[in-house]
Amino acid sequence: MLKHRLNYFGLLLLLLSAIVLPFYLPDYWIHSLTITFYYVIMAATWNLLGGYTGQFSLSHHTFALIGSYTSALLITKAGIPMWTGMVSSWIFNAFLSMLLGILCLRMQGIYLALTTWAFAEIVKTYIRMDFEFTGGDRGLKTPLFFKTMNPLPYYYLFLVFAVLTIIVIAIIMRSRIGYYLRTIRNDEVAAQAMGVNTVRWKVFVFMVASVFASIAGTLYGHFTGLISPVSGEFYEMALIIIFVVIGGMRSQAGPVIGAISIRFLAEVLKKWPEIRMVLLASAVILIMRFFNGGLMEFLRRGYQRIQQRKGRGPVSVFQKME
Amino acid sequence: MNNQSHPLLDIKNLVKDFGGLRALNNVSLRIQEGEIRGLIGPNGSGKTTMINLITGSYKIDHGSIYFSGERMDGLQPNVIASRGIMRTFQISRVFKDMTVLENMVVPALCQGQSMVEAKVRAEELLEFSLLTRLKNEPAKNLSGGQSMLLQIVRGFMKKDLRLYLMDEPFSGVHESIKGIIIKNIKAMNQEKGITFLIVSHEMTTIRNLCYRISVLHKGELISQGTMEEVANDPLVIDAYLGGE
Repeated sequence: MLKHRLNYFGLLLLLLSAIVLPFYLPDYWIHSLTITFYYVIMAATWNLLGGYTGQFSLSHHTFALIGSYTSALLITKAGIPMWTGMVSSWIFNAFLSMLLGILCLRMQGIYLALTTWAFAEIVKTYIRMDFEFTGGDRGLKTPLFFKTMNPLPYYYLFLVFAVLTIIVIAIIMRSRIGYYLRTIRNDEVAAQAMGVNTVRWKVFVFMVASVFASIAGTLYGHFTGLISPVSGEFYEMALIIIFVVIGGMRSQAGPVIGAISIRFLAEVLKKWPEIRMVLLASAVILIMRFFNGGLMEFLRRGYQRIQQRKGRGPVSVFQKME
Repeated sequence: MNNQSHPLLDIKNLVKDFGGLRALNNVSLRIQEGEIRGLIGPNGSGKTTMINLITGSYKIDHGSIYFSGERMDGLQPNVIASRGIMRTFQISRVFKDMTVLENMVVPALCQGQSMVEAKVRAEELLEFSLLTRLKNEPAKNLSGGQSMLLQIVRGFMKKDLRLYLMDEPFSGVHESIKGIIIKNIKAMNQEKGITFLIVSHEMTTIRNLCYRISVLHKGELISQGTMEEVANDPLVIDAYLGGE
């Protein structure tokens, strides 16, 4: 199918480029790309939750924040070894996301969004307020994963994790679980009538997305060496959603393309900080107006046009019965 | 068929209120295994409410529902579905962003069947229903009648299907598609012994399909019998023709 072909080809090209790119780039760009991979993980996992399952959570970035703080605090305050601290934070996040998932089970749309937003605000505010423990707005120093400021090993670490995330999501979506998640998004009432245990799968997807976010957040904290509640600001969540929507919701490559293109645009526009957000927001509006399936739709339409010129379709999408 | 004392579906004294409105008032109904039962009544008589109560979409306020001797009111809809009960909705509810084939496999996957098995079975049913050409079409591109047909055929994917509740399956549907729906119902009833409860306003179709008919009016069961018996029942005549 066209959609799958575009996805696989695009991903393969990106992967090969990503592997060789650091050899041609200065440290600044390697650092920037590492952070881009972090956002790829966040966008892809939010796409699983919000895009494929229709659970419009506004606390996805918060699980990254909780991951980074839990790991950092366990290591720096309790003296726990790094790997133990990291894994403990992931388990803690899994438990927390399960509770939040259960709480939000009966909520949809705006109510789910507001509840998860409230959770995010509570966490961020707590981190700010309990400054003696968390460092508050001054931030919290975290030990570096590779004990070096050289961005190269982190680049490959985040690249591997990003690829792993995309593979795991692809496996989920191609399995029967993927069918269940899509039915929940399409029509939860009909899904239940067909036998889908919507409770189980909504909590499942909440946990999977949140655990991946917490892993990303943990690694991010041990990459930057300093974490702060700024990562819990709503702007971060909005950015993740923009990456997914711009790239193309409910596609494998969409969040990847969205994160990379918007991050690149943001870097290019860095010279004009005053109008950078205006230009970015304008780009979002234009893409939404003309290609509301995101950049993936843009590519899809381009491919179809090429096929049409070659005389190969498209066949009418509506076929009547005889 | 089971004998009268062991019906497949046994509804006892069902009551459902929506605020101050009593939608169902002490309704008792028994359906034997292998029956094709019609459920008719004027608009607002409680037919869809009854289906929603049986399938767990609504919670009952009073009464009980037994399926194959086991009580099932209070269970979640997906658990009721797992017991062998499928339903369709008055306005077709297919998974619009999924293809026809993907829609079809969902009930089978829920039962633990493999993807391969489910797709083979789905292709057979689609062929029987003349929907094969549309199998890779997103369900949102189907016409109203095709969507209704897909909704119905999808329910047949459940391997251990015993009871199928259909809410207005013929409403707004082209004659050719109606014919396919009727063909499916008769085939499944005769070959697999599936029991049907069909809500419909299409009296001719109901007469041809159903031996026994139950009539609801203002939330009460006012008549049961063959089409001729209920058609001549003064209570039924009054319900359809009488004023407030």
